[in-house]
Amino acid sequence: MTGTASVVRQIRNGTHSAAAVLTQTKARIDALDPSLNCFTAKTYERASREAAAVDALRAAAQPLPPLAGVPFAVKNLFDIAGEVTLAGARVNESNAPAAADAELIARMQKAGAVLVGALNMDEHAYGFTTENSHYGATLNPHDHLRVAGGSSGGSAAAVAAGLVPLTLGSDTSGSIRVPASFCGVFGLKPTYGRLPRSGSFPFVYSLDHLGPFAGTVTDLAAAYDALQGPDPHDAACAQRAVEPVSAALALPAGIRVGVLGGWFQDWADDAARRAVQLAATALSATHTIELKGAEAARAAAFIITGAEGGALHRERLSRQFDSFEPHSRARLVAGSLIPASWVVQAQRVRQQVYREALELFDRFDLLIAAATPVSAPLIGADTFTVNGRSLPTRAGLGVLTQPISCIGLPVCAAPIRPASGGLPMGVQLIGAPWREDVCLAAARALEREGVAEVRLP
Amino acid sequence: MERNTDTPESYVRAALRLQGYRFDQAQTAEIILHFSRIEAMAQIILQYPLPFGSQAAPVFRP
Repeated sequence: MTGTASVVRQIRNGTHSAAAVLTQTKARIDALDPSLNCFTAKTYERASREAAAVDALRAAAQPLPPLAGVPFAVKNLFDIAGEVTLAGARVNESNAPAAADAELIARMQKAGAVLVGALNMDEHAYGFTTENSHYGATLNPHDHLRVAGGSSGGSAAAVAAGLVPLTLGSDTSGSIRVPASFCGVFGLKPTYGRLPRSGSFPFVYSLDHLGPFAGTVTDLAAAYDALQGPDPHDAACAQRAVEPVSAALALPAGIRVGVLGGWFQDWADDAARRAVQLAATALSATHTIELKGAEAARAAAFIITGAEGGALHRERLSRQFDSFEPHSRARLVAGSLIPASWVVQAQRVRQQVYREALELFDRFDLLIAAATPVSAPLIGADTFTVNGRSLPTRAGLGVLTQPISCIGLPVCAAPIRPASGGLPMGVQLIGAPWREDVCLAAARALEREGVAEVRLP
Repeated sequence: MERNTDTPESYVRAALRLQGYRFDQAQTAEIILHFSRIEAMAQIILQYPLPFGSQAAPVFRP
């Protein structure tokens, strides 16, 4: 896999032009994507212009931006100027094309990155498998019989297959961390409110996060640094100044690491527990601790998601139900019927569990949990089983991610080296609010020790 | 508190009418199944101990 750092170095020293990098990228996408189904649109004309702009800068001996010439792609809920924002839904196909790029795409472009296309997802981000009935399932690059995870499945699979070194996705309840785990790549779900969502198709305003995927921690951090910064157009954006992490990926001395037990162990199978144990040993975790409100936080996220997502789509569901995704449309309608008192209670629980979590961060700097209860299920599986208990696949694979995104904590999903012949499995490296730097430094430490790694299929 | 297992189904049928939805029997049955899962989740948060004065945390910045 050609990573971001390598691409930028080659363009800077003249080994390759940005146009040549783009040509190689297009060839790989066109060769591999027909079987994987990561891309729903390719933006090659635009990419050629962006690559030419990078090459013109270099020819003029101008300073090159940090991601100069790096190809990237985005989940198809990001606005791309001139393209219809599908959000995985046929009901959006007749919408007007986006007038402008999403804020995060504009920031990537400003950093010199080259947009090559839009990526597959679960319809309206409501699912954990990217089995999209309209645009097809995205296949897991490590086993084409298995799901890529979702809802940002195209984003994770495109990096895992080496199609592009960087992608962007969204995470409401686990939609970055679940596919990162199944596809064996790094993913970052920043603190709620860190990155602006302006120009992205909403799902659940209270819980929506955006973030990057990459094949190395250095690449992930470089993308994250390019994406940061205030934006008044997103009311939930915390309007914090950029806090760069790329230059400080060393793990702080004396870092206190804990392993989340209780709920997070009960819902982890042997492979998930093995991944946590490997990460815990490498990071010298000292204690297993419990977030007592984990189950309640997961339930709160479920209620808030159902209510806000259902309300968002209620009017169209009543008119165009048959055009919605069969895997999630009844669930969306059910969500639109949730009583208001349950939603308010869920928001109160969210706040309470957040406070419980802050108490844990008085004693620990980093918490570890599995990212998924199991490795990637087979495509078409309606249920999966963990420690003898069954859950619905498309709604239940976020059982370990939902409690954390509900309370907005930053998480880096890191792919742990699988057992011989095993499927990828990721862990969540969970920091205190606004401490993405700690999450990324922990991921870098695991990567450096060979505990976390991204393998091409 | 003892729960009536008919309650989710009755609620869903009434709420669907209130919201102006029109579904056939099979669609309604699937919606009832999903609402039953939501209702099970709601029981968890409704039983979660909270200080009486605790507030919700939606974002609103005028």
